[in-house]
Amino acid sequence: MAQVPVQTIHRDPQLFYWILFPITIVMILTGVLRHYATVLMASAPKKQDQKTTREQRSLLHGINVRGNYHVLSKPSLTTRRDALITAYESGAYLKNPDGRGQPPPNPMSDPSAMEGMMGMMKNQMAMIIPNTLIMSWINAFFSGYVIMKLPFPLTIKFKSMLQAGVATRDMDPRWMSSISWYFLCIFGLQSVFNFLLGSENAASQMAQQMNQMGPQGAGQMFGPGVDPNKQFLAEAENLAVIEHHSVLDGVEQRLLAGIKV
Amino acid sequence: MTLLSKTITAFGSLLLAHACYSAREHTALQSLRTATAATLTSSTTVATSLPVDIIIETIISTFIILLGLVLGTRPLRPLEWRVWAGKIEREGEEGFTDNAGAVDKDYMGNPFSVFESRPNFVDIRKQRKEFAAWVQNGGGQQGQ
Amino acid sequence: MPSEQELQIQISPIVQESLVHNSRTLYNLQSITASLFGVSAGILGLESYAGFVFYVALSLLTSVLFYVLRVAPTSLASGKSPLDTSRYFRGAYDFWAGGLMNGFAGFVLTWTLFYGLVTA
Repeated sequence: MAQVPVQTIHRDPQLFYWILFPITIVMILTGVLRHYATVLMASAPKKQDQKTTREQRSLLHGINVRGNYHVLSKPSLTTRRDALITAYESGAYLKNPDGRGQPPPNPMSDPSAMEGMMGMMKNQMAMIIPNTLIMSWINAFFSGYVIMKLPFPLTIKFKSMLQAGVATRDMDPRWMSSISWYFLCIFGLQSVFNFLLGSENAASQMAQQMNQMGPQGAGQMFGPGVDPNKQFLAEAENLAVIEHHSVLDGVEQRLLAGIKV
Repeated sequence: MTLLSKTITAFGSLLLAHACYSAREHTALQSLRTATAATLTSSTTVATSLPVDIIIETIISTFIILLGLVLGTRPLRPLEWRVWAGKIEREGEEGFTDNAGAVDKDYMGNPFSVFESRPNFVDIRKQRKEFAAWVQNGGGQQGQ
Repeated sequence: MPSEQELQIQISPIVQESLVHNSRTLYNLQSITASLFGVSAGILGLESYAGFVFYVALSLLTSVLFYVLRVAPTSLASGKSPLDTSRYFRGAYDFWAGGLMNGFAGFVLTWTLFYGLVTA
C-alpha cells in the first residue's frame, strides 16, 4: 500500500499572533467576565411568607424522617409517623387548605413563579450573549483562515465542522480553521478557569449546563406548578410503608467482634 | 501551595518552557534546511524527529511539574464520620488548614462541641447570681 | 431489611462535606495536570494514538502519585490495605480512572495548541 504523503501547508507564522492568541485571550477574558457578572447579578433568595415556609419545611421534615428512620427507636418512629401522616392527609400544613383538589395555578400567571423564571433567564442571557458576540466576531474577522493542524486524524465527517468557511475539497480534515479553535476553547478552557477563579466558578458554560441537567429534584420540588397536596399525600404513603429496623440492631455482636482480645 | 511545591513547579515550568523553545527552534531550522536543500525534486518529507535531549528534558520537566502539583494539593479529609470527628478532636483547627496555613473557609468547627457544654446542665441560678454580683460591682458601666 | 451496603453506611455515616472537598481537590489536580500533559505531548509532537496513550499513562501515574503522597500515609496508618482509597473516596473507579474524563478536553486543547506552535 502506498504511503499517503502528508499534506504540508506553509502558513504565515503571523497567523498565530493575529488569530490564535487573540481568540484565546478573548475567550479567557470572557470567561472571567462572565464569572464576575454572574457573581454580581446573583439575586439574594427571596423572603417567603410563613405559610409557604411551613409547607416546604414540613414536607422536608417527612423526607428526613423517612431517610433517617434507622436512628430512631420503634415507638419514636411510630409516633412521628402517625403524627406526620395525619397532618399530611388532613392538609394541616398546606399554604391554603381551601385549595385542596383544585388544579395548580398556571405558572405563567403567578408572580412569584415569574421571579424564578427571570433569574433563570438572566443566567441564560449571560451565557448566550457573549457566545453570540464572539461567534460573530470570529466569523467577521477571522473566517477563511486555516490556522492549525490537529494532532490526531479525524474522519471526513468533521470536515464541514472544522473547516467552516474554507471551501476546499481535498484538504485533510485535520486542518482546522479559526472557528473550530473557538469550539475547542469552549470545551477545553475549564481547567484554565479552575486555575484562575477557583473551582466553583461560573465561567464555563459547560459546567452550568451540567448543573441544569443534574439536580432536577431539588429545584423542581417546590417549583411552580407542583401541587403540594399531592406531594404531601405521596410522602404520607412513603412514610406508611417504612419497615422499621434500628441501627442498633445487633450492636452487641458488632461491639464484641470489634474487641480484640 | 507550600513553598516546596511552588519551587518545584516553577523549576519544572522553566525546564518545560526551555524544552518548548528548543523544539520550536529545532523544527524551524529543520524546515528551513529542507526548504533550501531539497527544492522541488524530492517530495520526501524528512521525519522531523526531535533530538533526544529535548525529549528527555520535556519528559523530566513534566514529571517535575507533576510532582510539584501533587505536593501542592490540599490535604484530604476522612470520609467516615467517626474518623473525621476523631481527627477534629485530636487536631482541632490544625487538621483543617490548607497549605498556606490558613484555616479552610468551610471548616465548621467541632460538631460535637455541643456535647461538651450541655446547655441542659448549666446551673442557671449560679450564673444569674454571678451576673447580679457583676452588675452590683459596676461591671456594666463603661469606661471603668 | 436494608442491604448490606446500606447497613454499612447507616452504621458508619459519611461526612458529605469531606466527600465534596476530596473529590474537588482531586478534580482540580486532574484538570490542571491534563493541561500540562497536553503541553508535553504537543512539544514531543505526538500524533494520534501515541498522544492518547501518553495521556492515559500519565493520568494513571498522576493517580498513583496522588495516592502515594496524599492518601497512603494516613490510610495505611489506619490499617487499610494498600491501594485502598476508601478512607477518602467512595468508589475505587472514580479515584483511579475518573481523571481520564475530567481533563480530556483540556488535554486536547493544549495538545493542539502546542502541536501547532512547535511544528509550525
